[in-house]
Amino acid sequence: MKLVAVGVSHRTAPVELREAVDFSRAGLDAAVSALASRNVAREAVVVSTCNRAEIYAASDADAAGDVCARFIAEYHALPWDRVAPHIFMLRGADAARHLFRVAAGLDSLVVGEPQILGQVKDAFAAATGVKHTGALTNRLFNTAFTVGKRVRSETGLGEGAVSVSYAAIALARKIFRDLKGLNVLILGAGEMAELTGVHLQAQQVKQITIASRTLATAEALATQLGGRAVPWSALSSALTAADIVVTATGATEPVLTRAGIEESMRPRRGRPLFIIDIALPRDVEPDAGSLGQVFLYNIDDLQAIVQENMARRTAELERAERIVNEELGRFTSWMQSREIVPTVIALRQRFETIRQSELQRLEPKMAGLPPEARARLDEITHLIIEKLLLTPTEQLKAINDETMAVAYADAVNKLFSLGAEEPPQAADADRKRTERVS
Amino acid sequence: MILTAWLPVVLYAAAAAAYLVNFARKNARAGRAATALLAGGVLAHTFLIGMQTMEAGYAPLVGTTAAVSAFVWLLGLAYLYVELTTDERAMGLFVTILLAGLAVLPALHPALEPRPALLRSPLFTLHIVSVLFAYASFALACVLGVTYVLLFKEIKAKHLGFFYDRLPSLQTLDVMNGRAVVVGWIFLTCGLAIGGIWASQLHAVVDPHVQSMNVGDPKILIAVLSWAMYSFALFARRTIGWTGRRAAWLSAIGFAIVLLNFLPVGYFLTRSHNF
Repeated sequence: MKLVAVGVSHRTAPVELREAVDFSRAGLDAAVSALASRNVAREAVVVSTCNRAEIYAASDADAAGDVCARFIAEYHALPWDRVAPHIFMLRGADAARHLFRVAAGLDSLVVGEPQILGQVKDAFAAATGVKHTGALTNRLFNTAFTVGKRVRSETGLGEGAVSVSYAAIALARKIFRDLKGLNVLILGAGEMAELTGVHLQAQQVKQITIASRTLATAEALATQLGGRAVPWSALSSALTAADIVVTATGATEPVLTRAGIEESMRPRRGRPLFIIDIALPRDVEPDAGSLGQVFLYNIDDLQAIVQENMARRTAELERAERIVNEELGRFTSWMQSREIVPTVIALRQRFETIRQSELQRLEPKMAGLPPEARARLDEITHLIIEKLLLTPTEQLKAINDETMAVAYADAVNKLFSLGAEEPPQAADADRKRTERVS
Repeated sequence: MILTAWLPVVLYAAAAAAYLVNFARKNARAGRAATALLAGGVLAHTFLIGMQTMEAGYAPLVGTTAAVSAFVWLLGLAYLYVELTTDERAMGLFVTILLAGLAVLPALHPALEPRPALLRSPLFTLHIVSVLFAYASFALACVLGVTYVLLFKEIKAKHLGFFYDRLPSLQTLDVMNGRAVVVGWIFLTCGLAIGGIWASQLHAVVDPHVQSMNVGDPKILIAVLSWAMYSFALFARRTIGWTGRRAAWLSAIGFAIVLLNFLPVGYFLTRSHNF
């Protein structure tokens, strides 16, 4: 059984093609079943996300990779010429390494993003559901899950927000326990205000209030976000009620002064206020940040956090790759020990056949022996074979280099002519006995 | 006996080391090990206190050293309860350092003080246990306050780093701090009231301790002061909005006073509480 990985990813294909070959639309299990009906791979898993469509297959046929590649085009009714230039194909350990890096988020567009591990798990579950996985894919995917989990818990690869809006939301979570019960005030109704509003709405805050110089634009945005609009004159009372304030007006002078914020803090009884100033020029007087329970972050502060997080993620890359290599080493030595297993079994069977045939041949001469002596003879011959085979078996199983394993397997096959039905000597020795036994 | 006396200290210190690894490296396995070690420490400590009770025939609460031992035990139990109910381990490091440090005192002097006839009253046990439980709550409030200030400073300075990654949110810390102060205040109030009732019952007894049982004694004076301090903290939080950093500082200062009263005053200065 050989492992092969074929597919397209954001590294090899443009987004239009990736969209066209998305397997998840019709269900991953349907895709696996369709592939299974082609009888080319005994085990196969289809991984499909918006950034990749990949097939991991275990097959004895060398052509399995090509068949899977063509399957990607044919399943989506695309001309092969359109898909072919973007296909990548990896075999054996390279295929395993690729999956491990995918599961760890190392191959993702945003390195370290956490969703991919869940998507890989879903892909495997779908293939297991239609019973198209086996020993090799089981081991492969379970190792991939281990890699994903280890990278997440042992490195800081997935840590820290890497976009300004997520940095702001992460900060809000460190100030307030839960965003669900919070009142958000957005100043301004432009594009930036809208974008932030959408992000905050996704966090299910209690109430979004929008204030703008022109009430009509505020109302328009409020309808879109499911919030309410207040006139600019009601700003100070809206400020008192708010927990998070986002300022994104086009004003050239600060719209929130330190004095104004201090005024609104008084009735709050120490309730913290998180102000996110994403406007340029700034909407909030910078020294308002020195007020007791006021946390003021402007766009530059947030960008600095994002950059710091990016740098930290890069520093963690090396540790993540080390984990991938560690698990890959373990997986490949398991895979190679599996390759030598059929040879070892054949070798032992050959020895056992010889022993049995020799015992059979001596049968007439042993007829006079008491049963205990015959049992003893059986035991001794068995032990001799066990002892003779012990070291070669151990040595063969210990090979953890693929080319060496193949070379050894070939040599052993040739030396004992394991491919043949019967060893020539035994066949010559007693043809009649063979007929009788069979 | 020496071995059993030091076992809790060793386990508390081991728990502190494991909490440190958990805190610094964010290692979940070290965190679970820390909780197990702390639980083991509290268990060993329970066993020790149980043995002492069996041996002496009364609860080992006489004298400052025995009280420190009981305080450590109560704090360990209270923290374990908080950790198991909130699933939040970040405070463990700070609490176990305090536990391991204080547990050295009873381990150095494992011998029990004889119980004078004066203290043979259920009110004595009630008084000590309520006050010690209050102190344990205040210790937790102090740890929560200190971590609040550490996190607050990082967020204010816009330099998100070590504590930002490891501590729960400011609001969580503040709410937990507020609860710990309320629980501590209730127990301190009960403890002081019971102490007062008991002292008035002893009024007729001729004993230098009893003669000193008035607000002029440093131990009693500072205890009343710390009660006033925590009463103010409660009042300030509820009415004038002294939450967050102010509340955190109040609970840190409050516990500093409590420790001062517990150790130096308890060992060297008091004339009414030096049994």
